[in-house]
Amino acid sequence: MPAVDFDSITGKCVIKGESFLEETAKFYTPLVEWINRYLRTAKRIELILQLKYFNTSTSKWILTILGVLKEFERNGGEVKVEWYYYKDDTDMRDDIKDYILGSNLKIDMKPFVE
Amino acid sequence: MLKKTPSGDKIGLIIDLLLLQKNNNEMESANTNKRRATDNVCISYTGLFDSEILTILAQGIEGTLTSNDKVTKKVFKIFLELAQNISQYSLEREPNSSGESMGVGTMLIKEYDDYFQFSTGNKTTMESIIPVIEKCDNINSMTRDKLREYRRLQRNMPASNKGGGNIGLIQVALTADNPIEYGVVKCEDNNYFYIVSVKINK
Repeated sequence: MPAVDFDSITGKCVIKGESFLEETAKFYTPLVEWINRYLRTAKRIELILQLKYFNTSTSKWILTILGVLKEFERNGGEVKVEWYYYKDDTDMRDDIKDYILGSNLKIDMKPFVE
Repeated sequence: MLKKTPSGDKIGLIIDLLLLQKNNNEMESANTNKRRATDNVCISYTGLFDSEILTILAQGIEGTLTSNDKVTKKVFKIFLELAQNISQYSLEREPNSSGESMGVGTMLIKEYDDYFQFSTGNKTTMESIIPVIEKCDNINSMTRDKLREYRRLQRNMPASNKGGGNIGLIQVALTADNPIEYGVVKCEDNNYFYIVSVKINK
Protein backbone atom coordinates (compact mmCIF):
# COMPACT_ATOMS: atom_id res chain seq x y z
CA MET A 1 0.00 0.00 0.00
CA PRO A 2 1.43 3.41 -0.87
CA ALA A 3 1.85 6.22 1.64
CA VAL A 4 0.16 9.55 0.98
CA ASP A 5 1.26 12.79 2.60
CA PHE A 6 -0.98 15.63 1.49
CA ASP A 7 -0.37 18.97 3.18
CA SER A 8 -3.36 21.19 2.45
CA ILE A 9 -1.49 24.28 3.71
CA THR A 10 1.44 24.00 1.29
CA GLY A 11 -0.49 22.16 -1.41
CA LYS A 12 2.15 19.44 -1.55
CA CYS A 13 0.92 15.89 -2.13
CA VAL A 14 3.43 13.06 -1.93
CA ILE A 15 2.53 9.51 -2.99
CA LYS A 16 5.31 7.04 -2.33
CA GLY A 17 6.15 3.40 -1.78
CA GLU A 18 4.60 0.50 -3.61
CA SER A 19 1.08 0.37 -4.99
CA PHE A 20 -0.11 -3.08 -5.93
CA LEU A 21 -3.40 -3.10 -4.13
CA GLU A 22 -6.06 -5.52 -5.34
CA GLU A 23 -8.86 -3.01 -4.96
CA THR A 24 -7.27 0.23 -6.01
CA ALA A 25 -10.61 2.07 -6.14
CA LYS A 26 -11.01 1.77 -2.37
CA PHE A 27 -7.70 3.54 -1.87
CA TYR A 28 -7.66 6.06 -4.71
CA THR A 29 -11.30 7.18 -4.87
CA PRO A 30 -11.06 9.03 -1.50
CA LEU A 31 -7.69 10.48 -2.52
CA VAL A 32 -9.10 11.86 -5.79
CA GLU A 33 -12.06 13.30 -3.86
CA TRP A 34 -9.64 14.85 -1.37
CA ILE A 35 -7.60 16.46 -4.16
CA ASN A 36 -10.76 17.71 -5.90
CA ARG A 37 -12.01 19.23 -2.65
CA TYR A 38 -8.67 20.92 -2.05
CA LEU A 39 -8.54 22.33 -5.57
CA ARG A 40 -11.91 24.07 -5.22
CA THR A 41 -10.25 26.84 -3.23
CA ALA A 42 -6.53 26.35 -3.97
CA LYS A 43 -4.29 28.29 -6.32
CA ARG A 44 -1.51 25.74 -6.65
CA ILE A 45 -0.75 22.09 -6.12
CA GLU A 46 2.47 20.12 -6.16
CA LEU A 47 2.33 16.36 -6.78
CA ILE A 48 5.37 14.26 -6.01
CA LEU A 49 5.36 10.62 -7.08
CA GLN A 50 7.92 8.25 -5.60
CA LEU A 51 6.51 4.84 -6.48
CA LYS A 52 8.96 2.00 -6.68
CA TYR A 53 6.34 -0.36 -8.06
CA PHE A 54 2.77 0.07 -9.15
CA ASN A 55 0.39 -2.29 -10.91
CA THR A 56 -1.57 -1.41 -14.03
CA SER A 57 -4.73 -0.90 -12.03
CA THR A 58 -2.90 1.79 -10.05
CA SER A 59 -1.54 3.23 -13.29
CA LYS A 60 -5.07 4.20 -14.33
CA TRP A 61 -5.58 6.05 -11.07
CA ILE A 62 -2.35 7.97 -11.54
CA LEU A 63 -3.64 9.10 -14.94
CA THR A 64 -6.95 10.07 -13.30
CA ILE A 65 -5.11 12.24 -10.76
CA LEU A 66 -3.00 13.84 -13.50
CA GLY A 67 -6.21 14.52 -15.42
CA VAL A 68 -7.67 16.33 -12.41
CA LEU A 69 -4.51 18.42 -12.18
CA LYS A 70 -4.58 19.21 -15.90
CA GLU A 71 -8.15 20.46 -15.59
CA PHE A 72 -7.10 22.61 -12.63
CA GLU A 73 -4.25 24.02 -14.73
CA ARG A 74 -6.63 24.79 -17.62
CA ASN A 75 -8.72 26.79 -15.17
CA GLY A 76 -5.76 28.91 -14.16
CA GLY A 77 -4.30 26.86 -11.31
CA GLU A 78 -0.57 26.35 -10.87
CA VAL A 79 0.55 22.73 -11.11
CA LYS A 80 3.93 21.20 -10.44
CA VAL A 81 4.54 17.46 -10.84
CA GLU A 82 7.75 15.64 -9.98
CA TRP A 83 8.15 11.94 -10.60
CA TYR A 84 11.09 10.10 -9.01
CA TYR A 85 12.32 6.82 -10.47
CA TYR A 86 15.35 4.61 -10.08
CA LYS A 87 17.95 5.67 -12.62
CA ASP A 88 18.35 2.12 -13.98
CA ASP A 89 14.62 1.58 -14.31
CA THR A 90 14.33 2.47 -17.99
CA ASP A 91 10.85 0.93 -18.15
CA MET A 92 9.64 3.42 -15.56
CA ARG A 93 11.41 6.24 -17.39
CA ASP A 94 9.60 5.34 -20.63
CA ASP A 95 6.34 4.99 -18.74
CA ILE A 96 6.65 8.49 -17.29
CA LYS A 97 7.29 9.84 -20.80
CA ASP A 98 4.06 8.14 -21.86
CA TYR A 99 2.25 9.76 -18.94
CA ILE A 100 3.48 13.14 -20.16
CA LEU A 101 1.97 12.38 -23.57
CA GLY A 102 -1.20 10.94 -22.04
CA SER A 103 -1.86 13.75 -19.57
CA ASN A 104 -0.44 16.69 -21.52
CA LEU A 105 1.11 17.91 -18.26
CA LYS A 106 4.69 18.93 -17.69
CA ILE A 107 6.27 16.32 -15.44
CA ASP A 108 9.76 16.77 -14.04
CA MET A 109 11.46 13.39 -14.27
CA LYS A 110 13.80 12.87 -11.35
CA PRO A 111 16.16 9.90 -11.68
CA PHE A 112 17.91 8.83 -8.52
CA VAL A 113 20.30 6.12 -7.42
CA GLU A 114 19.37 3.64 -4.68
CA MET B 1 -10.30 -22.36 -32.29
CA LEU B 2 -6.95 -22.07 -30.58
CA LYS B 3 -4.54 -20.44 -32.92
CA LYS B 4 -1.46 -22.18 -31.67
CA THR B 5 -0.74 -25.71 -30.57
CA PRO B 6 1.73 -26.06 -27.71
CA SER B 7 4.95 -27.59 -28.93
CA GLY B 8 8.53 -28.17 -27.86
CA ASP B 9 9.56 -26.15 -24.84
CA LYS B 10 6.03 -25.02 -24.31
CA ILE B 11 4.86 -28.59 -23.69
CA GLY B 12 7.65 -28.98 -21.16
CA LEU B 13 6.52 -25.84 -19.43
CA ILE B 14 2.91 -26.98 -19.33
CA ILE B 15 4.02 -30.28 -17.82
CA ASP B 16 6.06 -28.40 -15.23
CA LEU B 17 3.13 -26.23 -14.24
CA LEU B 18 0.64 -29.10 -14.21
CA LEU B 19 2.99 -31.11 -12.01
CA LEU B 20 3.41 -28.22 -9.63
CA GLN B 21 -0.34 -27.93 -9.44
CA LYS B 22 -0.70 -31.53 -8.29
CA ASN B 23 -0.25 -32.43 -4.66
CA ASN B 24 2.99 -33.81 -3.27
CA ASN B 25 1.83 -37.42 -3.13
CA GLU B 26 1.13 -37.40 -6.81
CA MET B 27 4.48 -35.78 -7.39
CA GLU B 28 6.24 -38.62 -5.56
CA SER B 29 4.85 -41.10 -8.03
CA ALA B 30 6.22 -39.16 -10.97
CA ASN B 31 9.88 -39.04 -10.09
CA THR B 32 11.17 -38.42 -13.59
CA ASN B 33 8.82 -35.56 -14.16
CA LYS B 34 9.40 -34.26 -10.68
CA ARG B 35 13.07 -33.84 -11.40
CA ARG B 36 12.20 -32.07 -14.59
CA ALA B 37 9.74 -29.76 -12.86
CA THR B 38 12.30 -28.64 -10.32
CA ASP B 39 15.23 -28.04 -12.70
CA ASN B 40 16.48 -24.43 -12.56
CA VAL B 41 13.61 -23.41 -10.29
CA CYS B 42 14.09 -20.27 -8.18
CA ILE B 43 10.57 -19.95 -6.84
CA SER B 44 7.50 -22.09 -7.31
CA TYR B 45 4.13 -21.84 -5.66
CA THR B 46 0.75 -23.44 -6.10
CA GLY B 47 -2.32 -22.40 -4.17
CA LEU B 48 -4.45 -19.47 -3.26
CA PHE B 49 -3.35 -16.08 -4.59
CA ASP B 50 -4.52 -13.61 -1.97
CA SER B 51 -2.86 -10.46 -0.69
CA GLU B 52 -1.04 -12.25 2.15
CA ILE B 53 0.52 -14.78 -0.21
CA LEU B 54 1.33 -12.10 -2.76
CA THR B 55 3.25 -10.23 -0.08
CA ILE B 56 5.21 -13.35 0.88
CA LEU B 57 5.96 -14.19 -2.76
CA ALA B 58 7.00 -10.59 -3.39
CA GLN B 59 9.46 -10.79 -0.50
CA GLY B 60 10.67 -14.12 -1.88
CA ILE B 61 11.39 -12.61 -5.29
CA GLU B 62 13.23 -9.62 -3.86
CA GLY B 63 15.16 -11.86 -1.48
CA THR B 64 16.07 -14.58 -3.96
CA LEU B 65 16.79 -12.76 -7.21
CA THR B 66 19.45 -10.43 -5.92
CA SER B 67 22.22 -10.67 -8.53
CA ASN B 68 20.88 -8.00 -10.91
CA ASP B 69 18.69 -5.25 -9.53
CA LYS B 70 17.33 -4.15 -12.89
CA VAL B 71 16.28 -7.68 -13.80
CA THR B 72 14.82 -8.28 -10.33
CA LYS B 73 12.64 -5.20 -10.77
CA LYS B 74 11.41 -6.52 -14.10
CA VAL B 75 10.59 -9.92 -12.62
CA PHE B 76 8.79 -8.22 -9.75
CA LYS B 77 6.68 -6.06 -12.06
CA ILE B 78 5.69 -9.10 -14.11
CA PHE B 79 4.84 -10.94 -10.92
CA LEU B 80 2.51 -8.11 -9.87
CA GLU B 81 0.48 -8.40 -13.05
CA LEU B 82 0.37 -12.15 -13.56
CA ALA B 83 -0.25 -13.01 -9.92
CA GLN B 84 -3.14 -10.58 -9.76
CA ASN B 85 -4.57 -12.10 -12.91
CA ILE B 86 -4.72 -15.45 -11.13
CA SER B 87 -6.19 -13.83 -8.05
CA GLN B 88 -8.96 -12.17 -10.04
CA TYR B 89 -9.63 -14.45 -12.98
CA SER B 90 -8.78 -18.06 -12.09
CA LEU B 91 -11.80 -20.34 -12.41
CA GLU B 92 -10.64 -22.36 -9.40
CA ARG B 93 -11.42 -20.35 -6.29
CA GLU B 94 -11.14 -20.70 -2.53
CA PRO B 95 -11.99 -18.41 0.35
CA ASN B 96 -9.09 -16.65 2.03
CA SER B 97 -8.88 -16.00 5.79
CA SER B 98 -11.35 -13.11 5.42
CA GLY B 99 -13.82 -15.27 3.53
CA GLU B 100 -13.21 -13.54 0.19
CA SER B 101 -13.17 -15.74 -2.90
CA MET B 102 -9.66 -15.70 -4.37
CA GLY B 103 -8.14 -17.45 -7.37
CA VAL B 104 -5.99 -20.56 -7.17
CA GLY B 105 -3.10 -21.09 -9.53
CA THR B 106 0.55 -21.86 -10.02
CA MET B 107 3.59 -19.64 -10.37
CA LEU B 108 7.04 -20.71 -11.46
CA ILE B 109 10.27 -18.76 -11.84
CA LYS B 110 13.19 -20.55 -13.47
CA GLU B 111 16.67 -19.22 -14.00
CA TYR B 112 18.86 -20.01 -16.98
CA ASP B 113 22.26 -18.68 -18.01
CA ASP B 114 20.93 -15.74 -20.02
CA TYR B 115 17.40 -15.24 -18.76
CA PHE B 116 14.71 -15.87 -16.19
CA GLN B 117 11.50 -17.53 -17.23
CA PHE B 118 8.40 -16.41 -15.38
CA SER B 119 5.31 -18.57 -15.82
CA THR B 120 1.88 -18.78 -14.29
CA GLY B 121 -0.97 -21.21 -14.80
CA ASN B 122 -4.58 -21.32 -13.79
CA LYS B 123 -7.84 -22.98 -14.69
CA THR B 124 -10.20 -21.20 -16.99
CA THR B 125 -13.04 -21.76 -19.45
CA MET B 126 -12.70 -21.74 -23.22
CA GLU B 127 -15.03 -18.72 -23.41
CA SER B 128 -12.72 -16.75 -21.12
CA ILE B 129 -9.49 -17.78 -22.71
CA ILE B 130 -10.13 -17.02 -26.38
CA PRO B 131 -10.07 -13.21 -25.98
CA VAL B 132 -6.96 -13.48 -23.83
CA ILE B 133 -5.17 -15.51 -26.47
CA GLU B 134 -6.21 -13.06 -29.16
CA LYS B 135 -4.88 -10.26 -27.00
CA CYS B 136 -1.54 -12.09 -26.60
CA ASP B 137 -1.26 -12.54 -30.37
CA ASN B 138 -2.10 -8.89 -30.92
CA ILE B 139 0.50 -7.78 -28.37
CA ASN B 140 3.14 -10.06 -29.87
CA SER B 141 2.56 -8.57 -33.32
CA MET B 142 3.38 -5.03 -32.18
CA THR B 143 6.66 -3.16 -32.06
CA ARG B 144 7.69 -1.70 -28.71
CA ASP B 145 6.62 1.81 -29.77
CA LYS B 146 3.23 0.55 -30.94
CA LEU B 147 2.84 -1.33 -27.69
CA ARG B 148 3.51 1.83 -25.68
CA GLU B 149 0.95 3.67 -27.77
CA TYR B 150 -1.54 0.84 -27.19
CA ARG B 151 -0.89 1.06 -23.44
CA ARG B 152 -1.56 4.80 -23.49
CA LEU B 153 -4.86 4.21 -25.26
CA GLN B 154 -5.91 1.41 -22.91
CA ARG B 155 -4.98 3.46 -19.87
CA ASN B 156 -7.55 6.03 -20.94
CA MET B 157 -10.28 3.38 -21.18
CA PRO B 158 -12.55 2.67 -18.18
CA ALA B 159 -11.27 0.02 -15.76
CA SER B 160 -12.76 -3.47 -15.96
CA ASN B 161 -15.49 -4.44 -13.50
CA LYS B 162 -12.94 -6.33 -11.40
CA GLY B 163 -10.90 -3.19 -11.04
CA GLY B 164 -8.16 -4.47 -13.29
CA GLY B 165 -6.34 -2.10 -15.51
CA ASN B 166 -7.06 -4.27 -18.56
CA ILE B 167 -3.51 -3.57 -19.62
CA GLY B 168 -1.66 -6.15 -17.52
CA LEU B 169 -0.51 -8.26 -20.47
CA ILE B 170 0.69 -5.18 -22.35
CA GLN B 171 2.71 -4.22 -19.29
CA VAL B 172 4.10 -7.75 -19.04
CA ALA B 173 5.27 -7.71 -22.67
CA LEU B 174 6.80 -4.24 -22.33
CA THR B 175 8.57 -5.12 -19.10
CA ALA B 176 9.88 -8.47 -20.33
CA ASP B 177 10.76 -6.98 -23.72
CA ASN B 178 10.05 -10.42 -25.13
CA PRO B 179 6.97 -12.05 -26.66
CA ILE B 180 4.30 -13.54 -24.43
CA GLU B 181 4.21 -17.30 -24.75
CA TYR B 182 1.04 -19.12 -23.88
CA GLY B 183 -0.43 -22.58 -23.89
CA VAL B 184 -3.77 -24.17 -23.14
CA VAL B 185 -4.50 -27.78 -22.23
CA LYS B 186 -7.83 -29.44 -21.55
CA CYS B 187 -8.36 -30.67 -17.99
CA GLU B 188 -10.19 -33.80 -16.87
CA ASP B 189 -13.14 -31.69 -15.73
CA ASN B 190 -13.51 -30.29 -19.26
CA ASN B 191 -12.20 -26.89 -18.24
CA TYR B 192 -8.83 -25.63 -19.43
CA PHE B 193 -5.45 -24.96 -17.86
CA TYR B 194 -3.99 -21.76 -19.26
CA ILE B 195 -0.34 -20.88 -18.92
CA VAL B 196 1.38 -17.65 -19.76
CA SER B 197 5.14 -17.33 -19.77
CA VAL B 198 7.74 -14.71 -20.55
CA LYS B 199 11.51 -14.62 -20.68
CA ILE B 200 13.35 -11.79 -18.99
CA ASN B 201 16.84 -11.38 -20.39
CA LYS B 202 19.69 -10.91 -17.91
